[in-house]
Amino acid sequence: MTLLEMINEDVIKVPLESNTKHDVFRELIEILHKAGKVKNTESVFDAVINRDNQMSTALENGIALPHAKTEEVNQLVLAIGVSPKGIDCDSHDGNLSHLFFLLLAPPDQSGPHIEALSEISRATKSNAFRRVLLSAQNAAEIVEFFCED
Amino acid sequence: MDNPVERVLVYLDGSIESVTAARYAICLCRKLNAKLYGTFIINTHALNDLVKSRIFIESEQIEYKNDLEADADKYLRNFETEAVSKGLAPECIKESGLVNVKIKELVRSYEIDLFVIGELSRIRSRRDEFHNESERAMRSVPCSVLIVKDEDRVDDIYENLN
Repeated sequence: MTLLEMINEDVIKVPLESNTKHDVFRELIEILHKAGKVKNTESVFDAVINRDNQMSTALENGIALPHAKTEEVNQLVLAIGVSPKGIDCDSHDGNLSHLFFLLLAPPDQSGPHIEALSEISRATKSNAFRRVLLSAQNAAEIVEFFCED
Repeated sequence: MDNPVERVLVYLDGSIESVTAARYAICLCRKLNAKLYGTFIINTHALNDLVKSRIFIESEQIEYKNDLEADADKYLRNFETEAVSKGLAPECIKESGLVNVKIKELVRSYEIDLFVIGELSRIRSRRDEFHNESERAMRSVPCSVLIVKDEDRVDDIYENLN
């Protein structure tokens, strides 16, 4: 499953309302819950926080990639959030996080999970990619960007 | 050489598309009396990259590698069962590394003359195309390549193969 196949306006929030790491995780999980892709939000939150506590999932250059395996999803799911003001998520470079990619996978889909994480990792290394997402005014613009050939 | 296709390699990655490709390869090998090979390649290269990028921690790398090992065994076992049920004696090959590189090595070492893969995913850009391991394998293997489409039709052909 490619990123393109997981993305639609229902799983994208621009701008995010949260101001803290825990709140932004909850906000992204809630987006997926409203889209019908997540069952028990508290269980998912625990899984995401548990992973983040071992090493921050806020990377460098404003990117955060919280992820977890959970029984609460039936397939690989992705939520994208943009925070123009930025959120302190204990990133590896000490900067605020602006672009959030929450990726959840069922326990039996490690292969697709790895592929999706790799795809996001590669894409977010591009300055142009980050710039376009950060300048998006709404979810539709992000979907349009992903669907461009 | 009487038969234009003597050794067929099908790439399994656990996707529905790769299962369809395997079934088509089984049908082809039966009809052409060709030798069938199936491979599942554990993408340790991607795992290592995720650790280097500090996306994965070491315990995740180990856990996911174990998951992929189990997937490889499961999908190769299913492939073997299906092929044997159609009267073939397939060879199952479990490898690890960078997928497209390993596929090229297998094609050369087993003297494969037809490489079979499932339908490719939609891509977002030329960059995605470059990074998609199936695409890269398709473009770089030194033998002919067959991309299998139309799952329903293939399932019909497979089920009706006596």
